[in-house]
Amino acid sequence: MSATTTGTAAPEPLSPTTGETVAEVARRNRLGIWLIIVSCSTGTVALLVAYSYLWSLNVSSGWAPTAGQANWADDWPFWAIALGMVLATVLLWRSWRVMQAGKSGASVALAGLASLIFLVCFIGQILQIATFPFGPQDGAYASATLWLALANCIWLSLAMFLATAVMNRARLGRIAPDNASQIQFIAMFATYLCVAALLGAVFTLTMKASPNQSSPPFGTFQN
Amino acid sequence: MSTVDERTPEAEEPENPTNRPAGMHLVSRWMNRPYARRIILLTVIISAVIIALTFVMVAFMNLSGGPASDIQGEIEKTMYVLTFTCAPLMGFTLAIITYSWWGGWGKVKSEEEPTEEGPAIRTNGVAVVAWITVCSLLAAFLVIWGLVELATITASSYGSVAANQQPNSAKAIDINVTGQQWLWSFEYPDQGKITSSELVVPVNVPLYFNVTSLDVIHSFWVVEAGVKIDVNPGAITNTGFTPNKLGTFNIRCAELCGLHHAYMETNLRVVTQEQFESWVREQGGARTS
Amino acid sequence: MSDTAVIYEQKHVPQPRQVGKPGGFLHRTNFVTAVVSGIVLAAIFYFITGAIVQKVTGGGQQNNLSLPDGLQQQITMMYIGWIIGFMAGIGAFAGPIRWMLGHDLTHADAEYMSGKDMGRKKFWKYTTDHKVVGIQYLIVALILFGLGGLLAMLIRTELGVTWAEVFNPNFYNSLIGTHGIVMIIAMIIAVTGPLGNFIVPIMCGARDMAFPRLNALSLWLLVAAIPPLVSNLLMGGIRDGWTVYQPLADQAPVGMIGYQICIIVFAFSTGIASVNLITTVVTMRARGMTWSRVPIFVYGVVGSSIMGLIWFPMFQYSQILALSDRMLQTSFYTPASGGSVWLYENLFWLLGHPEVYVIVIPATAALLEIMPVFLRKPLFSYKLAIAGIFGIVGLSAVVWVHHMYMTGWAPSSNYPFMMSTEMISIPFSFLLLVMLGTMWRGKPWMKLPMMAVYAVIWNKVIGGITGVYLSDTPVDQYMHGSMFVVAHFHFMLMGAGLFGAMGAIAYWFPKMTNRYLDELIGAIGFWTAFVGFQVTFFAMFVAGLQGMPRRVLQFDQAFNIANWISTIGAYVIGIGMLIFLYAMITSWRSGKLAPGNPWGAHTLEAQTETPVPHENFPVLPVVTSDPYGFGVPDPYELLDSAELQAKEGVSKVGAS
Repeated sequence: MSATTTGTAAPEPLSPTTGETVAEVARRNRLGIWLIIVSCSTGTVALLVAYSYLWSLNVSSGWAPTAGQANWADDWPFWAIALGMVLATVLLWRSWRVMQAGKSGASVALAGLASLIFLVCFIGQILQIATFPFGPQDGAYASATLWLALANCIWLSLAMFLATAVMNRARLGRIAPDNASQIQFIAMFATYLCVAALLGAVFTLTMKASPNQSSPPFGTFQN
Repeated sequence: MSTVDERTPEAEEPENPTNRPAGMHLVSRWMNRPYARRIILLTVIISAVIIALTFVMVAFMNLSGGPASDIQGEIEKTMYVLTFTCAPLMGFTLAIITYSWWGGWGKVKSEEEPTEEGPAIRTNGVAVVAWITVCSLLAAFLVIWGLVELATITASSYGSVAANQQPNSAKAIDINVTGQQWLWSFEYPDQGKITSSELVVPVNVPLYFNVTSLDVIHSFWVVEAGVKIDVNPGAITNTGFTPNKLGTFNIRCAELCGLHHAYMETNLRVVTQEQFESWVREQGGARTS
Repeated sequence: MSDTAVIYEQKHVPQPRQVGKPGGFLHRTNFVTAVVSGIVLAAIFYFITGAIVQKVTGGGQQNNLSLPDGLQQQITMMYIGWIIGFMAGIGAFAGPIRWMLGHDLTHADAEYMSGKDMGRKKFWKYTTDHKVVGIQYLIVALILFGLGGLLAMLIRTELGVTWAEVFNPNFYNSLIGTHGIVMIIAMIIAVTGPLGNFIVPIMCGARDMAFPRLNALSLWLLVAAIPPLVSNLLMGGIRDGWTVYQPLADQAPVGMIGYQICIIVFAFSTGIASVNLITTVVTMRARGMTWSRVPIFVYGVVGSSIMGLIWFPMFQYSQILALSDRMLQTSFYTPASGGSVWLYENLFWLLGHPEVYVIVIPATAALLEIMPVFLRKPLFSYKLAIAGIFGIVGLSAVVWVHHMYMTGWAPSSNYPFMMSTEMISIPFSFLLLVMLGTMWRGKPWMKLPMMAVYAVIWNKVIGGITGVYLSDTPVDQYMHGSMFVVAHFHFMLMGAGLFGAMGAIAYWFPKMTNRYLDELIGAIGFWTAFVGFQVTFFAMFVAGLQGMPRRVLQFDQAFNIANWISTIGAYVIGIGMLIFLYAMITSWRSGKLAPGNPWGAHTLEAQTETPVPHENFPVLPVVTSDPYGFGVPDPYELLDSAELQAKEGVSKVGAS
């Protein structure tokens, strides 16, 4: 929160806790968000690696869902949710731009709308998980796909919290045109979430049936 | 007659006192420094000790009767090569810390305060370039030696090859190794599918192993033959060797696999061809190849 | 908006509305409230989960472990309840909730949270002052080392008693696994925790870290993660090595869940700490501290943090998926239904390898910082040291498969990874050259920090050559899974890592505690432990060469002698470490008072008073050179040029 005083030139807004300029603190926070994104990306990579590695191995012919032959999950929910997240993220970026231009009311509305869309995606994600044509015990594809969806669920709940917080803070004036970068940080993180969701959608779309159809049955030496 | 030489042009720089190249003059001048010669001497002594210790190391490896295969022989040779090539660098490092520790350059005791400062050497181009060159060459040598050795033991003895590679010797004995909590079982598909809990094989015959697990990860370690491959559930891995010594050797599990991992051992018995065939007959099998 | 606050250099800054007392909710929270609410929520989750499971399954829950129905779910939720309850009880949620509600911190809030004028109380609370967090990390590290050390003594006792089984094999397997992971965690935080937090911000000329609240968060997450891990021993144990390979880990009883929860939480702690450290160094250095004037210790801590930041989630997810296999019956690692053990091994070692550099680099960098001070010479080839650190950081990403040479997962991959593993010795050689070059022609001041340098270089040479053996796939074919490997990594992680950390702590002890660490007792402890260390692990090398596998409690008679010697050495280590600990404790309480710069260093933290003022610097410093401006002109160089002058009558600067 900062104040502008009367006078010909507005003094640089200062952070109330440390007295440093808001711009300095914002630079620090931005780097922090980048580093968090880097770390979270490794986690996403771990899940994608699990998916693709198990797909390529098809150990004991256990990749495909055992609950019915080739019972792959529908593709459209992945894409719908990912695109919903993209839309919400775009709205967050817009909210930042609009706040920088001084229109805090519009900024609040955009952030609120983004938060709502994340909520819809979150509910959609839960519905998708609940309606998978397989359970967690149904083999490696089922496990990996379930976890891509579950991880997305967790990220979405975080995104909802962040977007709601942005909306509330903007509404209260804690985010104002002279420290609008707070919205930028959330938008950056949301962008990473979109990339993760899109990658998950791509992997589940393109890697269904395993290329290795000749694994030996478990515990035997047949080739 | 003039004694002044008017034909030879004036030298622009002072000339070298001898015909040796310029660098050598600097090297020998460096060697005149008291610490230089002592550190070189220490390096030589310590390197010699390290080289001597290598023989002790390999002796420990062979205490239980090895080497029992060419692969183990290659491994031991590699130990010598790796140590001998690294010994000078190790010796040099230990020489410096020894010399420094024993006060070769002086020492300030703990109770005192330092009163003088050392030479302000921020860097030394010669040292840096020489060191990096030597270390890179050493690393490159180790890599090349390692790659060649790996290819050697893989090609000649089927060590750790891909699961679908066929043994290329008609005389090789195929053995299916199954590890499970907490015992080994060996099946000889070409000898009438006999199974055994001991690995009995004839000397000088190549062996090819297909290895899998029924439960958790184990590791099939034929100790004196220098052969090891993990035993994975859901996968078949391969290894092989040719035993070149008669005797009884150890097979141990080298990956923690639960309660009785420590007891998951069995014997490798390398016997003569006749003894092998009579053993096969005793187990109820027959040579089918 | 009506208030302003006076901050540091007499700036008047408008403040947001003060919500409640300065410090708000954190007035009511401390370690005790955290433990209590952790236990309470754990119990609540445990019983509710039990009730739900009963209702849903009618008591007929199928699981593959012959456990009482639903126990696994209950234990998992219990641990989760502990974590959430503990963090709530220490006040960690106050931050995000206040942020969302728009109740931003005022300067008075920040001052309260930083523990200003709070006395000893601040060490028990969610305190943001980096100096407090540094001390807290030191205490946690000491506790972990004590626990790990005790387990080590038990392990060596079992291995020394070759004529009987002291512990049953399941308990023994749990001992070694718990010893391993406790020590790994302790080593990860050993230098970066206390010194990265306490010293680095001051060394950079900052008043605190970039994200003070995240600093407190990373510490308390670590504290929360420890009871689940340690409690495994009471819940059947993990019965697996510290690597908890699947699918053996699946066979462990509910104690394994404690391990998994610990790692999942610890990964967050480490990631947050890394973000904090990196951001602090990149954005908060003093004016004039260009990248070529940053102390090498800071580079080491940053390099280590980068590796931890990037790779820790791999370990974290390996455990999440393992927990999922256990709880949801997914099949990431169960081969009978499509899972792969190699997936686990890859995910694990993708962190597992960079992790050892996360441990070794800060300790090495601390010694690089120490050497110029105790030799009164500049650091040799500072730029090469930086290149070495970041060469290791880069290459650490592409060597992990050398832990998997023998798995058979991709035999042809052994070739390129053997190459990359050998290549990483080159940046290591840079660091060694810097150490040797600094030591060259220097007159060592034989205080404890300097003595540690000699111990560490010796241990690194042994660890290094044995590492060269192991990196060679054919040799690894003999050595992998044997005690040779155990001795090798103890030489690196303990020999170089722990003894280096002890030297670093001895060096910065006066700055952190205002007292000198007792030189005599500290040295006795240090060298006793060192001698015991050599005995223990050289004997262990012999056992490995003879063919003794690792993680076994009973073994062939041929290995008896090596194990007896090793056990005696281990007891000597124990005695030495206790003596060193005794030195730390007595010095901390009543040691000789130390001035701000006891060693004559040029780094910024040595220019502050001790005890360090609350805001570190009354006025932020401006830096004009690197901290290695020691030394006088080289007498040999002067001699050379004087000789040449005399000889040639020409003015010329001689070469050395």
